[in-house]
Amino acid sequence: MFGERTLYKLFFYSFAVLMFSYSAYLFVSNIDQLSVNREAVETRELTDVWDDERTVMNEFAGGFWKDAYFWKSLNLTLIITLITTLIVSLAGIPTAYALSRYKIPGKAIIEILFSSIMVLPASSVGLCLIVALNHGPLFELQKWMGFRFAHSIFPGMIIASIVLSFVFGVSAWKATFSSINPRFETVARSLGSSRWRAFRTITLPMSKGGLAAGIILAWTRTMAEFGAVLFFCGTFAELPASRFSDLVKFLKIDQADWLSVAVWSQIEYGNVEYGFALAYVLVIIGGFSVYLMHRIGAKGYIW
Amino acid sequence: MIFSIRSRGTWWPALCIITTLTAVSLYFLLIAGNWLYLGWDDTTYFFTNPRMWQRFWLTVWTSTVSSSIAMIVGIPTGYALSRFQFPCRHFFASVIDLPIVVSPAIIGAFLFGITTRFPFDWISDYYGIYIGRNVYGVLLVQFTVTAAFCARLMKASFDMIPPRFETVSRSLGASNFRTFFKVVLPMAKNGILASMIVVWARAAAEWEGLMLFVGATEGKTDIMPFAIYLDWNGGMMGWVTSMTIVCILMALTAMSAMRIIGGKSHVW
Amino acid sequence: MITKSLQYLLISFLLLTSSAYCSDKEMLFHAGVGQRSSLNEIKTVFEKRNPDIKVNFSYKGSGYFIADITRSRQGDLFMPGEEFYLLQAVERGFVNNYNPETDIPAYFVTVIITPKGNPANIKSIKDFARPGVRIGLGNPRSCAIGIWHQKTFKKAGIWDKVKENAVLSAKCIPELGNAAQHNAIDATIVWSTTAVLYLRDVDIVPIEQEYRGIIRLPVGVLKFARHNKEAEKLKQFILSEEGRTIFHKHAYTIDPTIATDKDGFCLDNKTDKDMEYLVNAAKAVKDSSLPLTDKFIGSLTGEVERQRKTIRAGN
Repeated sequence: MFGERTLYKLFFYSFAVLMFSYSAYLFVSNIDQLSVNREAVETRELTDVWDDERTVMNEFAGGFWKDAYFWKSLNLTLIITLITTLIVSLAGIPTAYALSRYKIPGKAIIEILFSSIMVLPASSVGLCLIVALNHGPLFELQKWMGFRFAHSIFPGMIIASIVLSFVFGVSAWKATFSSINPRFETVARSLGSSRWRAFRTITLPMSKGGLAAGIILAWTRTMAEFGAVLFFCGTFAELPASRFSDLVKFLKIDQADWLSVAVWSQIEYGNVEYGFALAYVLVIIGGFSVYLMHRIGAKGYIW
Repeated sequence: MIFSIRSRGTWWPALCIITTLTAVSLYFLLIAGNWLYLGWDDTTYFFTNPRMWQRFWLTVWTSTVSSSIAMIVGIPTGYALSRFQFPCRHFFASVIDLPIVVSPAIIGAFLFGITTRFPFDWISDYYGIYIGRNVYGVLLVQFTVTAAFCARLMKASFDMIPPRFETVSRSLGASNFRTFFKVVLPMAKNGILASMIVVWARAAAEWEGLMLFVGATEGKTDIMPFAIYLDWNGGMMGWVTSMTIVCILMALTAMSAMRIIGGKSHVW
Repeated sequence: MITKSLQYLLISFLLLTSSAYCSDKEMLFHAGVGQRSSLNEIKTVFEKRNPDIKVNFSYKGSGYFIADITRSRQGDLFMPGEEFYLLQAVERGFVNNYNPETDIPAYFVTVIITPKGNPANIKSIKDFARPGVRIGLGNPRSCAIGIWHQKTFKKAGIWDKVKENAVLSAKCIPELGNAAQHNAIDATIVWSTTAVLYLRDVDIVPIEQEYRGIIRLPVGVLKFARHNKEAEKLKQFILSEEGRTIFHKHAYTIDPTIATDKDGFCLDNKTDKDMEYLVNAAKAVKDSSLPLTDKFIGSLTGEVERQRKTIRAGN
């Protein structure tokens, strides 16, 4: 009754189902952390630093949708991610094009450098940034300019996010451009168009899917960034309102944190329900981007 | 010649190359700045210290063990995702990919929750061992992240192999399993080796999941990136910088090995 | 073919889990991040004496202790950064037989630290209220130092102005030390035991006696300890003379007769000597011509020697 083909399929399906259920169980089993239990309430009653926020914290998922801190953090994360993705696209697409088409001396070393940044621990990159920017000549430059890069929203967070998502975007776009035959461009140029026009009218439309996949990849990677932002920028939630400029207040991102950092800091404070609620928000956003990538049919793009 | 003056529109290649060189030099300065900060004398002191190599060896063996287990689970999963059509395929693949699109600190929070629930807490109480608090916690965190990564890489590798080879082999009389082990796997060999190296490098860089629940026993659970974090919290900048340099060298070595072994057959 | 690979899997799984059955007793010790260096030394000495007991540490910021212990119900010993957190645990019933008189192995003292060279010229607490000074404050919800920042500045009456000067809100005390080390802030207040880790890159300014705080560091055995006898043994070792000497070497204060008022601030000048030792040690690390005598730096000789070995801190 069970043919050999069925057995074969069952063998492979069982591994896939195993991984699926492990992943699903990881996320589903923690849902009960969202509900407030008696002990958590009692813990917060003991410390008197929670005076003004106790009513908000002691409900399901910490009542995060009512809290201004959550919306401001979401704002902050989305705005910084958008700006980062924009800058990475503008700088990364020419870089990827150069790496896939032109002969640059030491191209192999450049590619090895970029791919190893992808597998470095993210916090090491943040530490390298602090060492580079808070010591030596770059620090003098910052003192002369009057503001510091570290522990700031603009441009600190943007620098920290760009450093890591740039290499991911370049890797995806390079693969796209390499898969397009350069002959099309040569033909276009032999027919009289300039290089930029050939790129704009021939290569860009052909690689639209790959470019979109690279942009979504860079966006997802930036949203998932934690280590570099934590070490380079820290948290801003408890700083006084006078510390923030008017532009920041206008965009409603003052006294907010990067979402991944907010999850960690809320858990460290003991607000486990609130922290897990933020974590689930991030999981949903990330899951949605991954689903989108799969539907586009992006092949071979990995993080 | 790219920069021939007579052809029109040379600003586009110039822009591309300048962007590339700027980006490369910025990254290079970032990494070399570490070594400049440390200085030559300190480098020799820290690199000859046995504590450094204890951490290095711990990182190497935990990464190897967890990436091997992840490969064993990931290769069949990648094959299933790549070849078989079943309903809700994309949703299935998205859920399997979830542990890597979320920040690793959040995965650490979820894993901390799961070690206090069935079935882990039941095993922990029954056998009297701590599951999350020692080196097994490290292996668990590394496995979670690298298994998902591996499934993704394997799916991409198997996508590159046309299914025609399997059909031909089966039409010549080989059974399904024999086809898989004797035809598909050897063809994907380069991809598998390259993926193994990348997965290994990713496991060696995984530490934020350890922050919340696996403690920091000297020499037992602090793999290299975690030791960097702990020493950063202890103000020992010398250790931080030298261990960062070792991490960078490990990543560079792994990526060079991947290029030499994987060659053109890999999706990168 | 399949059965063979399944056999391999089974064997490797068994091999991996076999070491879980070894006869070593492993204890889990929850401690604050600031105690790491001294507790590592205590662990080495203790494990040498009792070869079949192993100690695993779990370092975290103070605010997370109760949440972790409540949810995981695991742990043998508990040493938070301040007595306040242990009293919380006692109220929740997690710690048995805690005696506030005898279960305090060491104390620490608050001290001001600034980046090397003291760029903002901070000499006393009142200087923190000067406009334009970049201050790092702790977050009272997650670390004990935050509560002490509030207490100290409220007592000096300058809390509002200091809050305006805050540039960094740290979740745990090492963040403050690192910010001072890397010139990201101009001044902050930390424990003396944290300040001693950064001697090479910071300058130390003792606080005036009326604003100097004494913090009690407690140790307790948790209710759900799996190895009760061994946990008690380790606790007794920490409270013994030898344990306290180890603490003293890392700039803790171990004199239990220091008088404090009800908020924890100093009432006499018994801690002045320790402060002098700390300031001298900071100078001695930077300038290697200064002598390393007991009269000059007390028992901090080990720390100074360790930090003199390299330009960037290490051990």
